[in-house]
Order: sequence, then C-alpha cells, then structure tokens
Amino acid sequence: MTFVTELCVKILLLSFVVINLQAQTALKDQFNYAKKLYNDEKYFDAVTEFKRLLFFDNTNKYVFEASKFIGLSYKEGAKFSDAVYYFTLAEKNAQNNEELFETRIEIIKINILRRSTGRALALLVSLQNDKRYINKKDEINYWRGWAYIFSDDWENAAFMFNSISPNHELKVFADSINSEFYDVTLSKVLSVFIPGAGQFYTGEYASGLISLGWNVLWGYLTISAFIDDRIFDGIMIGSFLWWRFYTGNLQNAEKFALEKNLNMTNDALRYLRNNYPGSKP
Amino acid sequence: MKLTLIITLFFFIPNLAQNSHFNFHSPENKKKFADYLFCEGDYLRAVEEYESIRDLIRNDTIDFKIMLGYSSLGLFEESNKIFKQFNYESVFYSDGYLYSLRNILQIEQREFDYPGIPSFDPTQWKSFRKLFSISMLYADEPFESKEKFVSVFEEDDQITVSLLYDYKFNPPYKSELLAGVLSAVIPGSGKMYVGEWGDGITALLVTGLFAFLAYDNFRADHNTRAWIFTGLGAFFYAGNVYGSVASAQIFNARINFEFKEGLNLFLQHKNYFLPEYDFCN
Repeated sequence: MTFVTELCVKILLLSFVVINLQAQTALKDQFNYAKKLYNDEKYFDAVTEFKRLLFFDNTNKYVFEASKFIGLSYKEGAKFSDAVYYFTLAEKNAQNNEELFETRIEIIKINILRRSTGRALALLVSLQNDKRYINKKDEINYWRGWAYIFSDDWENAAFMFNSISPNHELKVFADSINSEFYDVTLSKVLSVFIPGAGQFYTGEYASGLISLGWNVLWGYLTISAFIDDRIFDGIMIGSFLWWRFYTGNLQNAEKFALEKNLNMTNDALRYLRNNYPGSKP
Repeated sequence: MKLTLIITLFFFIPNLAQNSHFNFHSPENKKKFADYLFCEGDYLRAVEEYESIRDLIRNDTIDFKIMLGYSSLGLFEESNKIFKQFNYESVFYSDGYLYSLRNILQIEQREFDYPGIPSFDPTQWKSFRKLFSISMLYADEPFESKEKFVSVFEEDDQITVSLLYDYKFNPPYKSELLAGVLSAVIPGSGKMYVGEWGDGITALLVTGLFAFLAYDNFRADHNTRAWIFTGLGAFFYAGNVYGSVASAQIFNARINFEFKEGLNLFLQHKNYFLPEYDFCN
C-alpha cells in the first residue's frame, strides 16, 4: 500500500474513533438530563426522557440504567404494575450479580408496598437460596422484616430484625408496637363472661356500660318470665332481645380491639415513613 | 490493513447515526418517539409529544392520533377540541366526525340533535346510523319504533339492542307506594311484591307473633311484658313498612344501574360501532 493510501486509512480510522466517542456522548448527555429530572423529583418527565433514551439507544448500553430509573419513577408515582414491568426489563439486562440483586430487591419492595406479602417472601427465599448472594443474608432478612411489618405481623418482624442484630432499631420498635396491641381473643372472652368487659378492656367505657345495662335488663325479664311460668314469653325475650344484645356485645368487643390495633399500626407506619432514616420500601 | 479497516467500519458505523449533533428533540425524532409511545399505549406521553410538534409538522395523521389519544385517556372534551381544528378536506375528517359523536355521547349522555353530516363512505354511513340510533337510548322518549331501531343493527346484535330498548322504555319498575301500602295492610306483603320472599315471610311471622304476645300478656294482666311486646311489635311493623318502600326503591335503582352498565359494556365491546385503527403495523 502506498504512503498516501495508508495515511487516508489512518485518518479514516481516527475519524471513526472520534465519531464513536461523540455518539456515546450524545447518549450520555440524554441519560444525564433524564437523571437530573429524576433527582429533581420530576418523575413524569424523567420517565419520558428515559423512554426516549431507550428508544434511540441502538447499542442497548443504557437499557439497565434507564429501565431501572423508569421503574423507580413509576414507583414514586405509585404506578406499581408499570414499575414492576421496567424493573423486570432491567433485571433481564443486568450486567452483573450486583445489578441483578439490586433490581430483584426493588421488585420485592414493590410487592411489600402492594402488601402482596406472600410473593415478597417467596422472592426473598429465592434470593436466600441463590449461592451468589450468600453474603447478603442480613439485607435479605432486613427486607423480610419490612414485609412482615406491612402485613401487620410485628412479632415476626421483630424476630427478623433480631437476626441482624439484637439491638436493631427496628427490632426494638416492632417489639414495642407488638406489646401495645390488644388481644382480640381476650377481649371477646372477657365479654363472654361479663357483657361489656371486653369494651372496658379496650378503653370503650361508655359502650361497655351500655352493653352491660342492656344484658342485665333483658336477662332479668327473661328469667322473671320463666319464673312466672310464661315459658314462651321467656323464649321470645331471650332469643330476640337478650341473645341479640349479647352477641352484639361480643361483636363490639372484637371490633373495638381490631380498630384500636389498626390505628396503632397506621401510626407506627406513619412514624416509620416520616422519622426512620434507614432504607424503606 | 484491509481487515483492520473492515473491522473498524463494522464496529463504528452504527454510531454514525448517533453523533453528537444528534438531536433527540428535533421534530422528526419527536414524531418517531411519539409514534412509538402511541403504539405502546402510553397515550398521555404520546399526546404530549405530538402536541409539541403540531405547529412544526402539519400532518392529518398526527391530528387524528392526538384526537384518538385524548379519547383513550377519557379526555373527551379535549378530543373534540382537536376535531374542531380538522380541515374539512382531510382524509380523516369523516372518521374524526364519528369519533366526535362518540365523545359527545360520553360527555353529555343524551341523544344527538340532528347533526350536520359530512360525506360518508358506506362503512362510515353504517357506523353513523348505528351510533345515531343508539343515542336514542339516552333520551327520555323514543323517537323511532322498536322495529325500526333494531333493524339498523347486525343480526347478532339485535337481541341485545332489543333488550336494551325494553329496559329503557318499558322498565320493570316496582311501585314504592304500592309496596308501602301492601305492607301496611298485611306485614311482609310489600316485600313479597318486590320479590324478597324470605324477608316478607319473616316480617309477617315476627310482626304477627309480637302482636299475639302483646295481646296475650295484656289479657293475662302482665302489663310490663305486654308493653315490651307492643313496643317490639310496633317497631317491627314500622320497619316492615319502611323496609318495603326502601326495597322497591333499591329494586328500581338496580334496574337503572343494570341498564346503564349493560349499555356501557355493550358499546365498549363494539367500540361504539366505529372502525378500529391500526397505526402500528
């Protein structure tokens, strides 16, 4: 090959290298622009720009990152189905075990938020059984604990956090919540023996007194009817009135205990959302 | 050397299209991206992209896709605003007109006035006749006979539209006044008239039973129990009359609800008798 031809070829090669670098820069600029929108919490626009990047990225260099951020943006907007779709796309295009683990945890977090606890726990088990993540046991148990929190199982949540550390902040918190809960069965049993006692146990004193009053009244009238040999009258008052108020008292005892427990759970979740500094779903 | 050149060209040519002068937000690239979003079903973003290039790229297809996009999002008024800007000579004008009628039906839920009709081809004319006829089901009074109404539709649909016609103009309502009066005369009969046989028989038995017990206790000079049974009897009697009137109201409301839901489901299944467009294949 002559000197001129060789020189032309070298110039051509150099041009291609430069053009290639410029091409990568264009995609990178778009990625950075989209990421800035995400960081500025403009999630709708972030999704648009990441989707634009995905559409024009013929090299598929940004599939993982763009899909991940689209998933995160959808998650911020509570569009969980769309989020799972894009996290799954990111999972398929993960380049290494760390990226794969990261996207699987994101999918697990979505299932926790959706309260599909069974699915979240099943995914965590599959991660635990994966030999590649043998050193991620603590993180897996951490998210298991959160899955139990969202399914209102504070006892198991405390157990999970305890396996990470006996003094784990969330373990102490879960224990305190669990100890404050009302025992629904105890509430009902108390009302079986003394109408209104279950309501007293849950702090509903007015309702408890009214229940007690009604049951005493209808009980007295039923018994006095039997004593007067008015058997049929006794059966009618006993079944239509006394029995109705007695079962109502049991239903109230259960209802108040469940309501109070639900309020405590909601307050606890609110506290964690606003005040807990660690990773949250 | 030749081999090096070939390898270099193979690796770097794909990036020629994405050089640093590549403009993700040029009108042509925005249109390509918008077309992709439209086919993915992300109508909100597709419409946003199309709207941003409408003034730069004058294109009937873009206008029509914006109209369809807004319709798919349930933004029927926005969809019709786009149609009002259509050129009368546009190839999409007649189809857009049909879609605008569909939008009017969704927004106003009433029969059409005699609308100005553009020139239709035979298929469009069929769609128009069906849409116009079906709008009658939103009117208070029919403006054509049942036979004429049903004849507009295909054989497969005639049974359904005939049922809808009957439900609309001859609904099987129950009279609330009659239900109340029947229960006032014979406790429970109003409920039976509405079709609630179990409730009706229970009301009859319970009211009768308490009336008998009240009479029996007064006769035996047990005034306390007599007044208790009188009160219970009166309570159940009043409840039976009120319940019968309420049952008739609920029955009639269910007729209206089933008609509206049935009509909506039928129209959605038939796509409001409008042609479907496939811009993606």
